[in-house]
Amino acid sequence: MMAESTSIEFRQVGKRFGTQDAVKDLNLTIEAGELFVLVGASGSGKTTTLKMINRLEETTTGEIYYQNRPLTSIPLRELRLQMGYVLQQIALFPNMTVAQNIGLIPEMKKMPATKIKQRVTALLSEVGLDAQTYAQRLPSDLSGGEQQRVGIIRAFAAQPQVVLMDEPFSALDPISRAQLQKLTLKIHQRQKSTIVFVTHDMNEALQLGDRVGVMQAGKLVQVGSPDDIAQHPANHFVSQMFASTQTNDIYGVYLNRLKVLGYLEPMAAIDNKLPAFDNHQTIGEALPALQKEGAVQINNGAEPAGKLTNKQLLAFMVKFKKE
Amino acid sequence: MATFFQTLVAQRADLLTALGQHLLLSLVSLLIALVIAIPLAIWVIPRPKIANFFLQIAGVLQTIPSLALLGMLIPLVGIGNVPAVISLVVYALLPIFQNTYTGLTEIDPSLEEAATAFGMTRWEKLRKVELPLAFPVILSGVRTAMVMIIGTATLAALIGAGGLGTFILLGINRNNNTMTLIGALASALLAIILSFGLRHIRHLRLKPVLITAAALLTIGGGFGVYRLVRPKPVAITIAGKLGSEPDVLINMYKELIEKDNPNVKVTLKPNFGQTSFLFNALKTDQITVYPEFTGTVLESLVKTTHQATGDPAATYQQAKKALQKKQLTYLPPMKYNNTYALVVRRDFANKYHLKKISDLDRISDQVNAGFDLEFLDRTDGYKGIQKRYGLNFKTQSMSADLRYEALRQGKVNVVDGYSTDSQIPQYDFVVLQDDQHLFPTYQGAPLLRTETAKAHPEIVHSLNRLKNKISAADMQRMNYQVNVKRQSAAKVAHRYLSEHHLLGGD
Repeated sequence: MMAESTSIEFRQVGKRFGTQDAVKDLNLTIEAGELFVLVGASGSGKTTTLKMINRLEETTTGEIYYQNRPLTSIPLRELRLQMGYVLQQIALFPNMTVAQNIGLIPEMKKMPATKIKQRVTALLSEVGLDAQTYAQRLPSDLSGGEQQRVGIIRAFAAQPQVVLMDEPFSALDPISRAQLQKLTLKIHQRQKSTIVFVTHDMNEALQLGDRVGVMQAGKLVQVGSPDDIAQHPANHFVSQMFASTQTNDIYGVYLNRLKVLGYLEPMAAIDNKLPAFDNHQTIGEALPALQKEGAVQINNGAEPAGKLTNKQLLAFMVKFKKE
Repeated sequence: MATFFQTLVAQRADLLTALGQHLLLSLVSLLIALVIAIPLAIWVIPRPKIANFFLQIAGVLQTIPSLALLGMLIPLVGIGNVPAVISLVVYALLPIFQNTYTGLTEIDPSLEEAATAFGMTRWEKLRKVELPLAFPVILSGVRTAMVMIIGTATLAALIGAGGLGTFILLGINRNNNTMTLIGALASALLAIILSFGLRHIRHLRLKPVLITAAALLTIGGGFGVYRLVRPKPVAITIAGKLGSEPDVLINMYKELIEKDNPNVKVTLKPNFGQTSFLFNALKTDQITVYPEFTGTVLESLVKTTHQATGDPAATYQQAKKALQKKQLTYLPPMKYNNTYALVVRRDFANKYHLKKISDLDRISDQVNAGFDLEFLDRTDGYKGIQKRYGLNFKTQSMSADLRYEALRQGKVNVVDGYSTDSQIPQYDFVVLQDDQHLFPTYQGAPLLRTETAKAHPEIVHSLNRLKNKISAADMQRMNYQVNVKRQSAAKVAHRYLSEHHLLGGD
């Protein structure tokens, strides 16, 4: 089946645990090939929403459609084999080597062993892990960041049409987190799978999402592009989420966010005299150059995104300083 | 130390047999327990209530003393290997079940979630994730079970299943600490070696371990079950109670029967257990013949108003008659009477010219007797002596194993004993004659099923060659040769038979 036809649609979906509504009245369409981020505080129902897609949780009311078929009409194993899954706890099987972990789902899909081996080698090198060194290691020999890289390529190894990622980076250090976010974007670009990504970090949501859905107390309160959400928060809660999540680590804030929030001065063309940074890099990375030169330019690939000056950065820091 | 190695060398063949029996018994039990406990634990994982129930049951079974469990099984499945294996399996169930259950339930839930999300079936999860992760915990349960089995299997000797327990029980019975030590050491060593081996399985890959286990299970299990359930008396099985005396007797039976009937193959089961085990085994045709005492028949095996008395002929006739009703044939007894005896040192006997118990009357104020507690209390013991002989002297109670030593050292001058005890010739003691026929008669005689006796008159004929043979002095000497001189029972038996020209045919 073509990736283009893949989409997930929630129709009037509700999920109740006992007397508690975890998800209420959810209507949402996730387009084929999009990277959709669900963001919300803990207990907002975002993880429950995610787990209803691969039926780790069943809906209480309403219906979810996958490729225009009700989920419940698709055999469970067939459904799950089409959906990669990345967990916050990483959950590499400790009894299997790195190669065996990555090859697990292709093997379940009866891919020939030689092809699995090629795939494992290619995937490992794509995420910067040398297959020679890493393939036969056990997960316990890897750092947390390395483990989650393996976790991600394990989910993508069988080229699933959908990959569900449940707060995959929240237990990692800021540097690993930034690397893995870039990696996720890179793999998404290449593989064109639909990704549903759950996070409590608005910064991460804006950085990654083609579209972002904000959840609050079991309800989807806003869906839109990162720019929409940053500039027109639907309610006080959404704007608060910015304030609280973004200033936890000022050095970890993506340069892209300064653009979204309007702290960059517009630039018509790339200025070769100014130090250049990609918009996926962080304030921390740009800070030394900024101190030396007084200003840096931020580029979005080959396009100029804007100029960041000391003054603007100070303005941002004053505005979003943590109490 | 020297005696230790001497005994070890002398008994090496028996030790190897016992070791083999012990190992087979233990491994078969362990395999059966594995086959029951592991699938059961897997089955109850999604059913915590049932799991709890099973854990309780296995825990309760564990608390039953092993001897009691063996005893309870005898009326149900008889004696020998079957009840031994059953009780060992019962003990092994809990540690294996518990560890398998714990190992499987304590797997990180996020791993379970990942496996489920990847679309694995229950069986795939079990095979690829759960069992490999729980393997070390399961293995430690198996090790616990195995060490327990090997220890408990020593009790199997009590019900005729053989094994290293034979050495321990024989050692206790013959008051031979070296044999007990050898049995205990061998069993401990076996446990240590197997446990060490199992611990190292952990470092191996799971797959070959499982394949090897499956192969062992099939081969060992099949062979073991075959060994255990195949019909026992292929030809003739002769069993004997614990101790040197029955051991010598059954070796005589074997030699006599095989000499007379070259087509009959006799299997011996020495040290087969206590009286009631043997009697049950005979009734259920698991053994063909065993030597039994006339007094014991009347006292414990048949319900009768007659008591064993000092009259040998009457005692035998009463025993024979009572056994006939049970379809058992009791052949005529041998000469010796293995009954209570009052024993004194030879110098003491010479000094006071003591020959008979009634001679003690003359010196009753000088007697200082050491009696076993039971003997003191029995009406055919010291109480009978007081009544029948009118004797009264100073007594003190001492345990059976200390009496002869106390007598030898002169701490006492009269002790009770049994008339065929090997210590009598060993220390040159004198047995005082029971001139008033107080002590009941315990004459040994072959006991077999009437059916067997009718079908094989030639065997009855061979057994009857010992009729009225073997005096108490002969028996003392032979016990002495086996217990003290460490000669094999078969050799001692053969020497007696040839010296008394019993092997020459009619």
